[in-house]
Amino acid sequence: MKSDTPLLEVKNLDVRFAVRGGDLTALRGISFSLDKGERLGLVGESGAGKSVAAFSILNLIARPGYIAGGQILLEGKDLAAMSERELRKIRGNRIAMIFQDPMMTLNPVLTIGTQMVEAIKAHRRISTKAARDIALDKLRKVQIPSPEKRLDQYPHELSGGMRQRVIIAIALLLDPEIIVADEPTTALDVTIQAEIMALLLDLCEQENVALMLITHDLGVVSQVTQRMLVMYSGRIIEQGPTREIINDAQHPYTQGLINALPQMGEPGARLFQIPGSMPSLKNVPTGCPFHPRCDFATDQCRQTMPEYVRSGNVDVACYEVSNLIEQEKRMQEAGS
Amino acid sequence: MTSPLVEIRGLEKRFDLSGSLLEQITFKGGRFQRKQEAVHAINGVDLQVHKGEALCVVGESGCGKSTVARTVMGLLSPSAGEVHYDGQRIDNLKGRDVLPYRRKMQMIFQNPYASLNPRMTIQQTLEEPIHFHRPELSRDEVRGKVQEVMASVGIDPDWGSRFGHEFSGGQRQRIAIARALAVDPEFIVADEPISALDVSIQAQVLNLLMEAQETRNLTYLFITHDLAVVEHFGTRVAVMYLGRVCELAETKTLFAEPRHPYTQALLSAIPKLEDDRPNYIRLQGEVPTPVNLPSGCVFHGRCPYANDRCRQQIPQLITTDSGTQVACHAVEEGRL
Repeated sequence: MKSDTPLLEVKNLDVRFAVRGGDLTALRGISFSLDKGERLGLVGESGAGKSVAAFSILNLIARPGYIAGGQILLEGKDLAAMSERELRKIRGNRIAMIFQDPMMTLNPVLTIGTQMVEAIKAHRRISTKAARDIALDKLRKVQIPSPEKRLDQYPHELSGGMRQRVIIAIALLLDPEIIVADEPTTALDVTIQAEIMALLLDLCEQENVALMLITHDLGVVSQVTQRMLVMYSGRIIEQGPTREIINDAQHPYTQGLINALPQMGEPGARLFQIPGSMPSLKNVPTGCPFHPRCDFATDQCRQTMPEYVRSGNVDVACYEVSNLIEQEKRMQEAGS
Repeated sequence: MTSPLVEIRGLEKRFDLSGSLLEQITFKGGRFQRKQEAVHAINGVDLQVHKGEALCVVGESGCGKSTVARTVMGLLSPSAGEVHYDGQRIDNLKGRDVLPYRRKMQMIFQNPYASLNPRMTIQQTLEEPIHFHRPELSRDEVRGKVQEVMASVGIDPDWGSRFGHEFSGGQRQRIAIARALAVDPEFIVADEPISALDVSIQAQVLNLLMEAQETRNLTYLFITHDLAVVEHFGTRVAVMYLGRVCELAETKTLFAEPRHPYTQALLSAIPKLEDDRPNYIRLQGEVPTPVNLPSGCVFHGRCPYANDRCRQQIPQLITTDSGTQVACHAVEEGRL
């Protein structure tokens, strides 16, 4: 399935925010790729840099933030170096975005139809009638009941779940190759969340759209994505096939995240807890950013950031894991 | 069984939407009409909370779970029904008579960013309820009490002179818990106390609540939408839908064999780590508005098992063989 050049490739991306008293590094050396039709999950707690990573893919980092280094290659073309004019042709057209709160994304004083037609006409030279037909078709695709009526309704007339369906329909309007979804179901109830996630997954499969799903919910990631990235304090600390990471996480932080879920514990017993909380960007610890909360931290962890090592199909940035792998190698050599 | 610590009988709460008399009057078809509208937030809820247990109330947004919490605390007065604490009716008490119950019953809110006064130091925040409820204590005694309660929630007592905004979300929620514990309550109503927190912090706060329950012999009424938390934390669970309890059972029983069709759908919608795809029971339609309640069973419009009886007659809670109480005609008739 893997082609030679991935659809999207992010290489060594650094994003910083210029604030009084110096720059804050929000993303540090982020590298990952996304193939055509692939579904990638981006997991982490608030402040890990998930949303900054998502925004930077569309080069939507607003001042005082800026891309300080690295490349964002969409089929070989670097979005980080593109002019605003060229970017506008890509945003919404080849890469679409779905945000957390549908009420913030939809314009409250325009009908659904107006907003959808506007988006199409911004990219294509077609008649309003033809644009309306496309809009209607997409509303049907997201299984909105009586779509003709919805076109003339305002966002406030729809329920939260319906609004998020409209947002998905808008994302699909121009047949994008990539959809970036930033916590698309966090504001919704569980039963609605299940419906929206199933819909998003079906649509991505049918239309062969690549999905980048940002979420803090490991259950959702495991249901929807094929590969996942775990972020901590602006770095990717673990990435690989979703199933492999969920079943056998390597990085102590990922392990902690999974074990802290109530469903992992014996009912009534104490939950596994990671001590402390994520450092603020103002004082990221030296070395591995996770070391103050890590049980395995050594002096090496406190001084230098670990490089990625491969364990199975998973890339992990952790000295403890790399030491274990080394040990295993030596044992095998000694054995043979 | 001993008498329950808190008992809710036939509780109803309506919020009037129609405003003043003039706003209620409309001119239609040649005559004046007076129309009154109300949100039916709770429609006849009976619950008993026994000493030492954690009764969880779950449901989706708009089901009335927070209204139940607030009515029990006396923050809202019921439209009908009674609230009893330790055998004494408390919802009709006024003035000084309420005070002893205010001390015994404390509440923890969802959002620690909103529930702490930003102009007060932590020391002041924690001293205030003690001064109010126990005016006989000297300054030193109060200070000692504050130190003790801060230490018990894992906040360094030396931080007393700091303000709320200087703490992280998890720490703020610890402080909110400390404030509730400061007056040595017997009963705590926690309204979504961990929903605003990150996964690893959720585990810390949940552990703290369980610890407090053991050391201080607390009873909880725990409101949440997160079923995974319920399974871990709750002694018994009440599932609410549109202002009614549709199922009430021991936690283990409820998760092992949910009886009500809504409970089944709700449980199936939790994203599980072991799932490779969204895997859930699809419900038709959406939650109806609590302004015009459906006739009969409030769930009938979305229920795959609904028949004519469900559309006409409101089901009452019945006790099944496993001890589960469920309000469903289909279960009663053996159709489900």
